[in-house]
Amino acid sequence: MDRRTFLRSTAIGSLGFFLAQGFDGLTLSADAAEKTDLVVARGAGKSPAAITNAAVEAFGGIRKFVSRGDIVVIKPNMAWDRLPEQAANTNPEVVAALVRLCFEAGAKKVRVFDRSVNDPRRCYKQSGISDAAGSLGAEVVYIDERRFREMSIKGQVLKSWPLYRDVFEADKVINVPIAKHHGLSKLTMAMKNWMGVMGGERGRIHQKIGESLADLGLVIKPTLTVLDAVRILTANGPQGGNLNDVKRMDTVIVGRDEVAIDSYGATLFGMKGSDLSYVKAGAATGIGIMDLEKLKIRKIDI
Amino acid sequence: MFTRKRLRIISQGLFMILFLFLFVQTESKGDDTLGYPVRLFLDFNPLIFITTALATHGQKIPAAFFLSLILVLITVFLGRVFCGWICPLGTLNNLAGSFNRRRNENRRPDLYRVKYYILFMLLASSLFTLQVAGIMDPISLLIRSFSISIYPLANYGIRGAFDAIYNTDFTGLVAVSEWIYDFLKKSVLSFRQPYFLQAVFIGSIFFAILGLNLIEKRFWCKYLCPLGALLGLLSRYSLLRREVSEGCSSCGICSNVCQGGALSGKGEDWRNSECLACFSCDDICPQNAVAFGFGKKKAASMDLGRRQVVLSLSSGILAVPLIRSTPFAKPDYSEPTLIRPPGALEEKEFLKRCVKCGECMKVCTTNGLQPTLLEAGLEGIWSPRLIPRLGYCEYRCTLCGQVCPSGAIRRLHIEEKTRVKIGLAMIDRGRCLPFAHAMPCIVCEEVCPTPRKAIWLEEVSVKNRDGKEMKLKQPHVDLDLCIGCGICEAKCPVGGRAAIYVTNIGESRSAVNQLLLT
Repeated sequence: MDRRTFLRSTAIGSLGFFLAQGFDGLTLSADAAEKTDLVVARGAGKSPAAITNAAVEAFGGIRKFVSRGDIVVIKPNMAWDRLPEQAANTNPEVVAALVRLCFEAGAKKVRVFDRSVNDPRRCYKQSGISDAAGSLGAEVVYIDERRFREMSIKGQVLKSWPLYRDVFEADKVINVPIAKHHGLSKLTMAMKNWMGVMGGERGRIHQKIGESLADLGLVIKPTLTVLDAVRILTANGPQGGNLNDVKRMDTVIVGRDEVAIDSYGATLFGMKGSDLSYVKAGAATGIGIMDLEKLKIRKIDI
Repeated sequence: MFTRKRLRIISQGLFMILFLFLFVQTESKGDDTLGYPVRLFLDFNPLIFITTALATHGQKIPAAFFLSLILVLITVFLGRVFCGWICPLGTLNNLAGSFNRRRNENRRPDLYRVKYYILFMLLASSLFTLQVAGIMDPISLLIRSFSISIYPLANYGIRGAFDAIYNTDFTGLVAVSEWIYDFLKKSVLSFRQPYFLQAVFIGSIFFAILGLNLIEKRFWCKYLCPLGALLGLLSRYSLLRREVSEGCSSCGICSNVCQGGALSGKGEDWRNSECLACFSCDDICPQNAVAFGFGKKKAASMDLGRRQVVLSLSSGILAVPLIRSTPFAKPDYSEPTLIRPPGALEEKEFLKRCVKCGECMKVCTTNGLQPTLLEAGLEGIWSPRLIPRLGYCEYRCTLCGQVCPSGAIRRLHIEEKTRVKIGLAMIDRGRCLPFAHAMPCIVCEEVCPTPRKAIWLEEVSVKNRDGKEMKLKQPHVDLDLCIGCGICEAKCPVGGRAAIYVTNIGESRSAVNQLLLT
């Protein structure tokens, strides 16, 4: 995206912001930064933590989202027994930076978990997240099968599904996916990351992945979504394993609208949001905005 | 003199705790290695050492086995102190025996020979490459019983109890019980409930062995244990000697408390090969006429009978062709579902080494390694096989090879592990959703762990029942890249029989069980 299209999209985006519906929850002040829908922070050669901090700051700062005494759930993707450089799991330094920010904002507890695909012990450890977040005082806990509760969703496809209780009991929820390739849904980012709190035979939702993920968005509404694109996986996802498939982007994207984040995330791979079934379905359901033109996207370079 | 008894009990307790500690540590924490020498008890086991050395004709003996020479040395000098002071199965027999209130008279004075015959059979078989010592070796037996049956049983019971409390409405009680449960999960409980085929079978054998103590205390140790027999042979000329002074009134009370059945009659005759060095006879003697010391006093002879020895050796030899005259011995036959763990040696070599201790199954991160019954022939009973539907082989995990005491499963480096094929996956098109039912599903491809995925998707146009054209991705297996890990089978959403499954064709360890021309 060159400067001209950026300016244009920013202009149209800010117009779109006022038209956008379904953007609730926050009492936004007139501060310019707070009107931003997405912050895209890029810091070539900078540490993932620095990029994350700058992105959150530009989006209004963590204190806007996390209050003193909050119990915060941070949901990274750590589904795979892979190392950070293989870009199959969320970057541990991004997760750690968020944990630190939450505690700085006075969070009482920060919980980190994922229902992994590979052995949870290996996923938690090898992803580096268990150590990085745990050493800062976050509770990096394994999924306790007893804590799935059948939740009414009333979606197009998912009428109800066992979902992880802690997500709904937390005061604040931060979704921290990684941007990567996926064989069926093409890409997996924010919306698909919530498969990690689904119990039962969740593999079945691949039969109608777009609608299913949009349905999940009806009940899971994170306070904040931080898309890790420090390294992205461009092929053989969602697990990867070949470092040639990993592309260094040094980018972190922060927003509240997961559809918007995924729609923007698609551009990192040379795609459009409308290429992704779940983004389309999400926009159609009204849980978010797919059209980047309608979004106010603030890009910062650090 | 009670201090000696106390010392023995402390020693037994400490070794039991060590055993249990190492046992519980035989579990992944997410790292690539375990960090504890969990197979230590097997490394120190001379029966496993000798039978492995015989069966493999001395090839590639794991260096750690030479630790067992330490036990040999101890036994040569001090007799069967291992049985009396160290062996965790002996300790459990002691405990079980405390439920037997009868006096421990040696009512079966000739039965002690049986264990020697068992030992001779095992030794003869192993010389002719049949390694079945692990079935009766007490350490193998104990680890196997604990891994497959006792530990899962304990976990099931404890988890069940805490779950029951968790599901009640007493929030205060739940808070307390969850706190305890959390502590137990972090210390002694397994990461997740283990489930094993044959848990009941193997557990029953174990409980039967403990139950024998009700017939006679330490029945197993006195009459059946082949390791005890081996140590008995080694202690024939040990320097530890029992002496009875002239003060002995021949009351015979010592004979009643003898744990190993080493004393017969009124307690004057002492068979040092049976003595467990428990010193009970010394402790109880009302005349204080019994003393242990070092010397060369002659002990009662061990009369095994030449005929019986020859018979047991010959039956051990005969067992080899008997057990092998089945299709499993045919070089080009293999039970297709016999998926061995990665790093397992070629089947014949594997069987020469596997001691059925079950460590690999205990440590398997996915609980996919299960004990065979007859899938590898009677010879291979309780050896490990992967059942992907129960648990796949974790791509970057090498733990089974790390805990294997005998080298039956080689220790693989991660780079080698991720290349070793344990079988190949094939798709059942009659069940696969995109093939048979025109429904999208890519789960097998998604979970396939090879860096370039062995499962690839072909985009096709198919028609559904209404004749409506739709685009679908159908999976295919690249046999060159597939390593047979079975995660596709494990995660296949087609319930019941999976629509993709692994058999052992193509396993790296076999020269004949191959499909591809390379």
